[in-house]
Amino acid sequence: MTYAPSPAALRKIEDAIAPYPEPAAAVLPVLHILQGESGFISREAEDWVAAKLSVDPIRVREILSFYTMFRTVPGGKHTLRVCRNLSCHLAGADDILAFIGDRLGIASGGTTPDGLFSLVTAECLGNCDHAPCLQVDGIDHGPISRESVAALIEELKAHA
Amino acid sequence: MPETEVRLLPADDASWRLESYLREGGYKALRRVLTSMAPADVVTEVRRAGLRGRGGAGFPAGAKWGFVPQAAAGPRYLCVNADEGEPGTFKDRLVLWRSPHALVEGIGITAFAVGIPKAFIYVRGEYAHISERLETAIAEARTAGFLGPRILGSDFGLDVVVHPGAGAYICGEETALLESLEGRRGQPRLKPPFPAAVGLFRSPTVINNVETLASVPQILLHGADWFVGRGLPKDGGTRLFGISGAVRRPGVYELPVGTPLRAIIEDHAGGLPEGRRIKAVVPGGLSAPVLKPEELDLPMDVDSLAKAGSMLGSAGIVVIPDGTPMLDVLHVMARFYAHESCGKCTPCRIGTAWILKIVERLKRAGGGPADLDLIIALAGGIKGRTLCPFGDGAALPIQALVTKFRGELEEAVAR
Amino acid sequence: MSEPRRVRLTIDGRTVEADAGTNVLKASEAAGIDIPHFCYHPGLEIEGSCRMCLVEIEGLPKLELSCSTLVREGLVVRTSTERVRSARKDVLEFLLAEHPLDCPICDKAGECLLQDDYDRHGRYASRSIETRERREKKLPIGRRLILDRERCVLCSRCVRFLRQVTRTGELGVFERAVRSEVGLVEDRPVDNNYSGNLVDICPVGAITAEDFRFRTRAWFLTRKPTVCPHCGRGCAVFIESVSGYPLKRSDSRVYRVTARENPAVNGHWICDLGRDGRHDIDDGRTAGLAGKGRELPGWTWPAALARVGEAIRALPAPDRRARLAVVLNSRMTCEELALAKSLFVRGLGLDRIYFADAKPGAGDRLLLTPERVPNARGVLEAGFDPRLPGLHELAASKVALIFGTGLAAHFPEEALAEVLAEIPEKHIFSSHATPLDRLADTVIPTAVPAEKSGTYINVEGLRQTFAQALRPCPGVVTEGDILSGLADRLAIDAGRDDAR
Repeated sequence: MTYAPSPAALRKIEDAIAPYPEPAAAVLPVLHILQGESGFISREAEDWVAAKLSVDPIRVREILSFYTMFRTVPGGKHTLRVCRNLSCHLAGADDILAFIGDRLGIASGGTTPDGLFSLVTAECLGNCDHAPCLQVDGIDHGPISRESVAALIEELKAHA
Repeated sequence: MPETEVRLLPADDASWRLESYLREGGYKALRRVLTSMAPADVVTEVRRAGLRGRGGAGFPAGAKWGFVPQAAAGPRYLCVNADEGEPGTFKDRLVLWRSPHALVEGIGITAFAVGIPKAFIYVRGEYAHISERLETAIAEARTAGFLGPRILGSDFGLDVVVHPGAGAYICGEETALLESLEGRRGQPRLKPPFPAAVGLFRSPTVINNVETLASVPQILLHGADWFVGRGLPKDGGTRLFGISGAVRRPGVYELPVGTPLRAIIEDHAGGLPEGRRIKAVVPGGLSAPVLKPEELDLPMDVDSLAKAGSMLGSAGIVVIPDGTPMLDVLHVMARFYAHESCGKCTPCRIGTAWILKIVERLKRAGGGPADLDLIIALAGGIKGRTLCPFGDGAALPIQALVTKFRGELEEAVAR
Repeated sequence: MSEPRRVRLTIDGRTVEADAGTNVLKASEAAGIDIPHFCYHPGLEIEGSCRMCLVEIEGLPKLELSCSTLVREGLVVRTSTERVRSARKDVLEFLLAEHPLDCPICDKAGECLLQDDYDRHGRYASRSIETRERREKKLPIGRRLILDRERCVLCSRCVRFLRQVTRTGELGVFERAVRSEVGLVEDRPVDNNYSGNLVDICPVGAITAEDFRFRTRAWFLTRKPTVCPHCGRGCAVFIESVSGYPLKRSDSRVYRVTARENPAVNGHWICDLGRDGRHDIDDGRTAGLAGKGRELPGWTWPAALARVGEAIRALPAPDRRARLAVVLNSRMTCEELALAKSLFVRGLGLDRIYFADAKPGAGDRLLLTPERVPNARGVLEAGFDPRLPGLHELAASKVALIFGTGLAAHFPEEALAEVLAEIPEKHIFSSHATPLDRLADTVIPTAVPAEKSGTYINVEGLRQTFAQALRPCPGVVTEGDILSGLADRLAIDAGRDDAR
């Protein structure tokens, strides 16, 4: 079966490409749209994007490996992004990160076997006055604590 | 409205919509500019106001705009640098979240001044949620006629596009931002040519920080003299000082350029919690060399910080309390630069990784003074030798930390 | 096109003149001052990433890249101050900290920029005790090229070459920071006619050719310049050969053909067809002097030639035109063609000379021409009207002199065999063995272009004279030798140029 984005995604993609003088420039917004739909960028999606933007497939591969926010393998339903930089470090980020890892039973970079959670570390999420910071599916939470994170995880599990 | 009440940043995020912005005098500056000023006059006014870039480099905005060749035909672009990623910095987030229209209006005035019909706002990928609000504000502005083909009935037209990043600090460097916007890996370009001559899609381009642009409407509404009066002669206006770390009231404080650092820490941010002392302060984002407690009597302006051997940078202050192992702070630093190096040029690509390896070894197995000397030497091999300022941004704070906390580090690694 | 403006600048205290628009690195090199570099290549766009070419420019506070700084009137450049030396050492130390100690097994040894630069500009005590990044060491990337990611210094020359020159873009750079690595998409390997240049331009042993890996050492190779004979472009090449070292007979003499710079013809590059032409030099060569398919030891080529002369003399003069068929080829040099003209046209009165050459192929946008012969223009300039003989024309001849193997490209073997069977005297002078050799009365092995000197005229009318780049195998002679030998025997003054 040939890969194709959903009609809704396709519409967003056409809108995304329109304002650029060169379609190749739209690669980041297009990848975000596709990852938003399926959680990761498959090899087929990669090739589709290359064809759509009239670029060599290797250019898309380069983008996927350079920028940290793209996944090329499926991740968890929820992405937990923990900041490890200075202000969060001072507020106990290392401890929080270890706590989450233990709770979920995965190392940073991993996905839980039930497919519910992916844990990633980040460098400064720009929310330093709410350190320690956690982004869940792109929404900022902070300051978090062991307790608040545990509650958050439980809540997400409950609605799984 | 009393002059002292003029604020870039509202106190909360309840008044970000067009309706509120208009009530507070929003888009009056744009109207004034479009109906009664020539583009060159706008540039002059901003130059006189002493508006310095608030992204980190502190370059005078008016001067930068003047670099675009006036007579150049063909496309021109304005790129808004919303790739805020300097650790300790969160002010642009707040501008986007609480006052997106100030940015849109600033973009409008700037674009008019330099004859630019299209602006791209490069928003870091992690701010996707925030940029939804920015998109709404842009749509509101378009509907109300503040953006689009003939703005407020004038001949000036402007289109604004929000472009997401995807997790790369280096894309905050202006030429890496251009590369990323053109659909490539975010690797900086050689300069010259400078973006004002050859920028986005090979066209003349102005790149400015969010806060810089959001400060422009004030200047055109109240005048350059007023703006200078709020700050310093060559560094006018107020700035959004972010402060975090071990202070009672972390947050963003809109204060005159030149406000003493101690005042920000003690008065505005409430000082440290009971019983805690300052061990070190990062004054302008992680890349600003650290200051010791005895070095904190400084006015917060670009030149004073430079003279003190540090930098105002993104004005992101981080207060490090006593009891914090500086070896761990060094680790955070080294890890950040090693992770964010784009990898293009030799000294940065390999130097940052090497320094991290040494620090990790020191934490794991200890070491000696020679290791600390080596870190300083390797940072020296990066300093001044790289393709873009990231190299210095890594080397200088690492050298400062290791030098200023040498005794503690030597003790920490000796086993 | 107008002459570029000349500017005068000072480099290391010497006044130097250069064309405006030149970069300081090039201007320095022209003045005999070498500035070490990795990413810079005159055939590619400036990258500025290796940071090795930093120099002091008076008036500027930081060291500046000499590859991207253009010369200016009055510029003062210093290329070997303490600051510059220190910067070079640091770049080398950084590169070598992440570089494997592969020299003993790396093919690039002896011609490696990293080795050379360390020798000249390094010589420091290494301070690295950390563990290097471990990476893939034997990744096939297409066209029998191998990538060793540990050796790669990320100069990006390979990536830029494929994007800017061939515009095929098979390679890219993945990841970032120290994890950066050159890579490709699995089902799109390097696959273009210029892939061999990647080995030439890689400054270290990161890209190597399977063809060359582990076969010899660069310092055993003798490098001689010549002109590639495989198409009409006439690219400048080097033939790199080993003769007798190590003291065993090796499987081939020529180990590789590499690009030689010629701004007027091929710039910095050559195509893979030309590179692979090295096999043409050593493989399938006519084994030795033969007659009627038998090796004739003790027979010398002059004796064989005498026999050919006899055969020609035996033809009555009025019959020659109709009964002496001569087939030449467009690999012959201008000098050889002139000899042929003197001998056959003026001397023997022939009014028709045939030519049999390799068939044309597809040309490309860069160097490769559709014609697959080096001297088609030379043939025309010599006044020949080159055409393939008809089989019936050959069959009707009494004496056939066939220079080269071109006939086999145009006629099926059985048909040619049949035709040859009908010709009373047939003599073949060729570099490569064909099945027809067993039918000939004489077979004299001739030289390939690399083994002779002479002049070719390329597709654009440029005359290029080249010298012998390889000693011929024992018993091999040039077509020129044969032609002048025949002329001697037939007492014809062929006015031969001494081009041997």
